[in-house]
Amino acid sequence: MKTGFSRRDFLKAGGLALLGTTGVAAIAQANHSDAHPLTHNHSANLTPTPPHGGHDGNLPGTVGEVDHDRNGFDPTNLLTDFDYGKVSRLPNGQTLREYNVIALNKSIEIVPGIQFPAWTYNGRIPGPTFRCTEGDRIRIHFNNGSDHPHTMHFHGFHPSEMDGVPGTGPGGNILPGETFTYEFDADPFGLHLYHCHSFPLARHIAKGLYGAFIIDPKEGRPPVDREMVMVMHGVDIDFDDVNDFYAVNGIPFHYQNHPIQIKVGEKIRVYLVNILEFDLLNSFHLHANFFNYYPTGTSLTPAEFTDTVIQGQAQRGILEFTYKYPGMYMFHAHVTEFAELGWMGMFEVLP
Amino acid sequence: MTEQKSNNRFSLRTFGLLLIPVILLAGVIALFLSTGGGLNLESAAPVEGLSVERYHLKENMIELQVRNTGPQELTIASVIVNDGVMPFEVTPDTTIPRLGKASILVEYPWSYGEAYGITLFTSNAIAFNVDIPVAFETPQPSSKTFWGFTLIGVYVGVIPIFLGIFWFPALRQLGRRTMTFLMAATAGLLVFLGLDTIAEALEFAAKVPSAFQGIGLIGIGAVSTFLLLDAISKRQTAITGNETDRRLAVAFMIAVGIGFHNLGEGLAIGAAYNVGEMSLGTFLVVGFIIQNITEGLGIIAPVLRDRPGIGRLAIMGLVGGSPAILGAWIGGYTPSPFLAVLFLAIGAGAIFEVIYEIAKLIQKDTAREGGAMPMVVFSGVLTGMMMLWVTGLLIK
Repeated sequence: MKTGFSRRDFLKAGGLALLGTTGVAAIAQANHSDAHPLTHNHSANLTPTPPHGGHDGNLPGTVGEVDHDRNGFDPTNLLTDFDYGKVSRLPNGQTLREYNVIALNKSIEIVPGIQFPAWTYNGRIPGPTFRCTEGDRIRIHFNNGSDHPHTMHFHGFHPSEMDGVPGTGPGGNILPGETFTYEFDADPFGLHLYHCHSFPLARHIAKGLYGAFIIDPKEGRPPVDREMVMVMHGVDIDFDDVNDFYAVNGIPFHYQNHPIQIKVGEKIRVYLVNILEFDLLNSFHLHANFFNYYPTGTSLTPAEFTDTVIQGQAQRGILEFTYKYPGMYMFHAHVTEFAELGWMGMFEVLP
Repeated sequence: MTEQKSNNRFSLRTFGLLLIPVILLAGVIALFLSTGGGLNLESAAPVEGLSVERYHLKENMIELQVRNTGPQELTIASVIVNDGVMPFEVTPDTTIPRLGKASILVEYPWSYGEAYGITLFTSNAIAFNVDIPVAFETPQPSSKTFWGFTLIGVYVGVIPIFLGIFWFPALRQLGRRTMTFLMAATAGLLVFLGLDTIAEALEFAAKVPSAFQGIGLIGIGAVSTFLLLDAISKRQTAITGNETDRRLAVAFMIAVGIGFHNLGEGLAIGAAYNVGEMSLGTFLVVGFIIQNITEGLGIIAPVLRDRPGIGRLAIMGLVGGSPAILGAWIGGYTPSPFLAVLFLAIGAGAIFEVIYEIAKLIQKDTAREGGAMPMVVFSGVLTGMMMLWVTGLLIK
């Protein structure tokens, strides 16, 4: 606020007083007479139309398409891209799963027209979804192909030198061009995650170094018709430690522009992971439905039957649901300001 | 004939000599561009500049008029309105060349009286923010707003100046000494207005995209106006040499100077209205009528001893006052800090030139009186300045 009041301010104020009495009333009136034409639009439209391709103009979202080929990944495919690794058997009969992971600097088109200088595991955000069974031996050959020190820090039981944290030995700080093999037994079963633990931590995570890590129980989970993984995260494109966009599986608004197709009556299981930086909470809300929720997936008995779940950073859980009616159904963060910044998607339920 | 030829050859040679540094310059630039001249000028991050010159709110629509003020072209990649990524259209193109203008259209259901924050992201992930402190429909050129802006101009400019001119018959009765005093007061008044105009120009210059060098623009506008008016006045004196005509000319020039000043004021008011900087208070209207009455007084001061017709006085009043109306229209419908700076600078130049003219008239008067009234000029100028200062003080 200005403290002084110049001659011009004074004239301005006076002038406005005049215009105020003549014009403003008329303008204000004009504005009130046609209040909220938008609400009519939405309520009148009972049959949902697929939002991809043709926005009705008022719906937030991106226009156009990012170049998935150049990005090297398509979120639609990431949904069901479970990486079981190279499987072999150890002399003691234990299953061995081997993975190759390379950390790469990579420019990713995060929304049409904007390149995000990301740090990635295997060139994608999120990194690969490792999937194994409780008790398997996991061996991850990590190669740092970037120009920063990175690590891989897994959630789960493992010895300290496999923790991927600075100060725990060679696995805690892998310099550019160096390699390290993380090895441990998959335990406990549940839905976990992994991420880089180099300093500064928030930046290393926010730039894209994270992924889901699923350990199935020995006896397996009850069969469902479709399984998918959703990693919720933010994108801070201008590095001010404030997220500019929010997304599931790398690209904001992707599942709004490309609804996930399922069928009426199908049992759906979603592995939901929150690795959002800079904001305290993230959430998942499913429209016109309820789901069984298994926090961290460490139990086979659901903890909750709900339609909205909140996850703090690194929290995760498994959702199971079935749609009764065909149509388009939204799912999004019920931290609603994230929704219109990218964390919005659609299930297209086919009859 | 031969001499002329040699002259010609000589000038060609001069031309060639003039050209040598230019050719060398081109060489140096080429060398610098190809080698970098030994300097490492690669910047880590792209440098971009975008200035939002204006926003325009229509029903369900936000329009931003932007200008690329950075060193290279930029591309608008994303528009976020109040934490919502919105589809948008850019005309003529999402890629804006250096110093190019573009209009960004966002369909958005904004609500009357609420605040909006808009973030524009370029393809290099550089953010530019626009604040809309109070949303309301931007006045369209309709008969209603047109009349509103006209009325503002009439109150700010025309009415006070004519009120001042109405003193003419009374002041004519005054003696020569008092008239000189009034002339000096006019000069003081104009000094105050001139400083005010410069201050306003500086304020607008800060809003002009840096590439357009607002401060330099003030210099160009003010100095060239000053010199141009000076040249015109000298020419006129040379043609007529008539003392009465000369005083009339000065009066007209004062009117022109004040006119430009009022144009600037109109621009400021119109622009302020456009962005919703509103404050009500009719006593302020009364206030500026009181203050601007002195402007009318200033215009007639040089011609008090003459008999200019009512028509001429009316024209002078219109020249001094009506630009406020024009300014309000321009400011209200197409506010441009660039134009505002230019007009205000022209106003400042005109005002200071008129002060110079008045000074010459006063000098002639005092010389005629045998230099017998040194304190009249001092007290007159001071009175003129104090008039504006004190009326301002009382109202503010």
